[in-house]
Amino acid sequence: MKVSDAKVCILQIEGTNCDEETYWAFKRLGADPEVVHLKQLIGTGIPHGMKRSLSDYQCLIFPGGFSAGDYVRAGAIFAARMKATLAKELRTFIGAGYPVGGICNGFQIMVELGVLPGLGESMTPLPEAILDKNDSDRYECRPTLLKHESRGNCVFTSKLPQNKVVMIPCAHAEGKLAFPKKEGDRIVEKLIENDQIVFRYVDEDGNYAGYPWCPNGAIYNIAGICNPAGNVFGLMPHPERAFHRFQHPDWTRTGLGESGEGENGDGKVIFESALDYIGKKF
Amino acid sequence: MRTIKKYFEGKGRNPTNIELQSLGQAWSEHCCYKSSKPVLRKFLFGLNQPYVIDKGDAGVVEFDDDNAYAIRIESHNHPSAIEPYGGAATGIGGIIRDILCMGAKPIALADPLFFGPLDAPLDSVPEGIKHPKYLVSGVVSGIRDYGNRVGVPTIAGSVTFDESYVGNCLVNVACVGIAKKSQLVTNSAKNEGDALILVGGHTGRDGIHGANFASVEITSETEEQDRGSVQLGDPITKEPVIHVCVECAKKGLLTGMKDLGAGGLSCVTGELCLKGGFGAEVHLDRVPLKEADMAPWEIWVSESQERMMLAVKEENVQKVLDICNLWDVSAIPLGNAIKDKVTRIYYHGKKIFELDLDFLTEGPEYERPCNLPSAPIMEEAKKAKAAKPRKFGTYGEALLALLADFNVCCRDWVIRQYDHEVQGRTVIKPLQGKMNANGPGDATVLKPVEDSYRGLALSIASSPFTTAIDPYKGGLAVIDEMCRNLAAVGAMPHSYTNCLNFGNPEKPERFGVFHEAVRGLGDASRAMSLPCPSGNVSFYNESHNGAIKPTISVLGAGIVDDVRKCVTTDLKCAGNSIYLLGETREDFGGSVYSRITGRDGGVSPIDLENLKSGVAATVNAIRSGCVAACHDLSDGGLAVALAEMCLGGSIGAEVNLGALGALPTDAKLFAESATRWLFEVKTGEEKRFEAAMKGLMLFRIGTVGGESLTVADGKKQAVCENVETLRKAWAEPLWNVMG
Amino acid sequence: MFKAHIEIKLKKGVVDPEGKNIEKTLHLLGFDTVKSVHSQKVIVVELDAASKEDAAAKVGEMCKRLLTNPVTHDYTVVIS
Repeated sequence: MKVSDAKVCILQIEGTNCDEETYWAFKRLGADPEVVHLKQLIGTGIPHGMKRSLSDYQCLIFPGGFSAGDYVRAGAIFAARMKATLAKELRTFIGAGYPVGGICNGFQIMVELGVLPGLGESMTPLPEAILDKNDSDRYECRPTLLKHESRGNCVFTSKLPQNKVVMIPCAHAEGKLAFPKKEGDRIVEKLIENDQIVFRYVDEDGNYAGYPWCPNGAIYNIAGICNPAGNVFGLMPHPERAFHRFQHPDWTRTGLGESGEGENGDGKVIFESALDYIGKKF
Repeated sequence: MRTIKKYFEGKGRNPTNIELQSLGQAWSEHCCYKSSKPVLRKFLFGLNQPYVIDKGDAGVVEFDDDNAYAIRIESHNHPSAIEPYGGAATGIGGIIRDILCMGAKPIALADPLFFGPLDAPLDSVPEGIKHPKYLVSGVVSGIRDYGNRVGVPTIAGSVTFDESYVGNCLVNVACVGIAKKSQLVTNSAKNEGDALILVGGHTGRDGIHGANFASVEITSETEEQDRGSVQLGDPITKEPVIHVCVECAKKGLLTGMKDLGAGGLSCVTGELCLKGGFGAEVHLDRVPLKEADMAPWEIWVSESQERMMLAVKEENVQKVLDICNLWDVSAIPLGNAIKDKVTRIYYHGKKIFELDLDFLTEGPEYERPCNLPSAPIMEEAKKAKAAKPRKFGTYGEALLALLADFNVCCRDWVIRQYDHEVQGRTVIKPLQGKMNANGPGDATVLKPVEDSYRGLALSIASSPFTTAIDPYKGGLAVIDEMCRNLAAVGAMPHSYTNCLNFGNPEKPERFGVFHEAVRGLGDASRAMSLPCPSGNVSFYNESHNGAIKPTISVLGAGIVDDVRKCVTTDLKCAGNSIYLLGETREDFGGSVYSRITGRDGGVSPIDLENLKSGVAATVNAIRSGCVAACHDLSDGGLAVALAEMCLGGSIGAEVNLGALGALPTDAKLFAESATRWLFEVKTGEEKRFEAAMKGLMLFRIGTVGGESLTVADGKKQAVCENVETLRKAWAEPLWNVMG
Repeated sequence: MFKAHIEIKLKKGVVDPEGKNIEKTLHLLGFDTVKSVHSQKVIVVELDAASKEDAAAKVGEMCKRLLTNPVTHDYTVVIS
């Protein structure tokens, strides 16, 4: 299908707050994004004209923010509401191969939903991982450097060369990816084997490094993962905040990009890749 | 009281309880500025420019042909001193509502904060007063948790420490919003019969008498007694309220909107309708409550958070209710705008309140006795110098001590806790330079409109140390600092909002200080042609150890034609030249160096014509592309500014100050003369840069490069410190104390 | 009506940044005798149920479906 026909559902509830910039990331690339409230998909208690169905879209994005205040645990309430009402639709959507992406709080929601890492099945009954409190016990708003490690499985990074380092800023208090104790190594092995590790935090020289380069203490420096099929992707840092070069933290030092690259920020390729995949596959 | 008695005698009846409570709220300093108005009228109200669109709950100023920005600052001092977390959080909530009710989407928060010294010994803090460390931690967490959760970036601010804030910290909060001109809303109903819809949180006993509370001095009993006055914030009720208000404004469904702040329903209802030339009829029993047994007067004056009042044409009411329902936001039509200019309240069908609106909202105005100070105020000048002066063997040691001072050191401990990137508009960040080098910024620049490169620069400024010694010059100094900051990123100063924090206005000498500081502010603003479309006054900032330092804090807004031309403070490239713009004198009055070493000197004079031409030349030079970095000179003077530029760029510099003439070396390094900037000029662009600065006092003082900052004065070496040594001194202090 | 007192704590060996941070701050404030600090969360739920056992079962389900993440959390429930 043509990219201009690609309908992107940017899903929000109260407390979601990165919906607008995520909307613009797709809009600037010529797609047809729409910010949709979860109640519009559930469909009860609202006027008919407001109702929407997941099957009308080719891409689903969980944007960043503090859904429901993150009061129980980051992402837990959004996930619980979604699981109680739309589990079947979501499973079908994922099964059909449509891209599903989560940024920051969206990643937390997807882990709580059990769609990431998605080792057993497309949506596990209980979470297999957690995005836990940062080791610093602080909210961390800072630029991070990510090394792209996907060998080609992830549909959200298909246009990004392997091993390329990109700058994408993070802003979270709970971003430390963790697995059940004692199983951590085994699960990481499995993720490597399945080509599910997409981004890892590195320092200026491209080395896997500790704080502040890795802002949260995540296992194996992991910043983003996908499911075994590659169409479900979650990332703690915010690519929609690095769409343009002039959103980079050091652009006044490094310039606005050589000719050809124009004013592209490092996060743009994530959205381009997803749309490219939709264009080719559907 | 006499006025009230006369009014009811004229009506031939006694006032009801709810009527008296209502007048108490509406006539408090916080709501009607009864003390400050004559002074503000004299010096500030006249400041205007044709591009100011509205002066409502927030000022509204033209941004470009199609868009406008809304800007406002406010104090939340007393609640934050009692319960720092909740106080600061609700301060953020309140200021966001002020922006929202102009129909604008909030896009930036900025907070100037003032506390007692972090290293104050525990037993030196008086009974009933919280230790500054606890207050800093609570206030920063409150701003973080509220601002981050509602998705409005906190992009600028300041943290200032001084003894005088021990018993009375200052928490000023500012917000900026953006709107299409066509979706702007005023704070007034437009038609007779417009429905008044109460939107957002439920009403409870929280914050009853907050407006009165903001106008008393803090005593040791305040702490426990007044817990009831501090409100609890609820960002997750607020966040959908933002969506609802912005969407209703965008769709043109509102005739007017106003937030419920000080005085709650009692203030908002009257003001919303009266401004449109109407009265109001309200059914108080329809208000959704947190506690069922509230008396009508409590409902009427409650200051519960997260509430907005919308005025809506009858035919649009259902559309507004549908939008609210999607977001699960409570929305209740309470009554209507009516033709008679009175407020009538019904409770279960019974009329319990009827007051003429002119009488209710007019409020008294006092001509306070005023003793004008003769500057410098010697007592303050003495206090401003170190009680136990420190001596340094070398200027290098002095520089390290200045960099480690709590009023100078790196603010990343605070700034990185705030989401300053959400909404994706932040083009020039609050921390600058190499990644994780955390160089300080002078101003933050946002790109508010999707299809335009036009930028909005924002910067906080304040000058308590100089204002205390010389109130008039202090007033000038705030504007000087604000303009310097904005110009340093390449922005032309455009408008500002001010928060005036002072002591008890009933004391004539305190009121005199207020008068002089505001006069300075007004003179500087007029010289710079700067409108001040909104502001706030906070009096009675006193505690056991007297009044706070008189503190004017401002949020300045500047315009950048193209954000891609902006510059930052970090040094970029070895070999580039370093220039100093502006005159250096022995101006040590109120300076950091004098506070540490006891060095004598007066408060810097400010030549407003010079400021004007300096700002214009700086902005032009930056726009022309020959400047690689620019930083204004403020706390700690030239040496600190140079060091900060090195820190952001992780590169050294070699500088000679011989050209500055016969001044003592310590003055060249550390004096805080106003209206000065440092520039890093790209190699090969020196001629063009010098031409742009023609007629101004410009010195070429050195070159970028190496791993150390080396400063000589003629043939004498003054400073030679490795950049990493400077970093250690500057980066760690807040982390060491705050953990 | 039953009242469920739910205590949620980190599994043994899971890093507790909040506890560590509070510990550090207490030390900074001069409370030298503090040996360790652990954070945990208490949620109180009031509910109707046929019996104490029924209430316990319902609350267990709540813990699994929303209140805890089994990857890092242990919990105990006391019904009264």
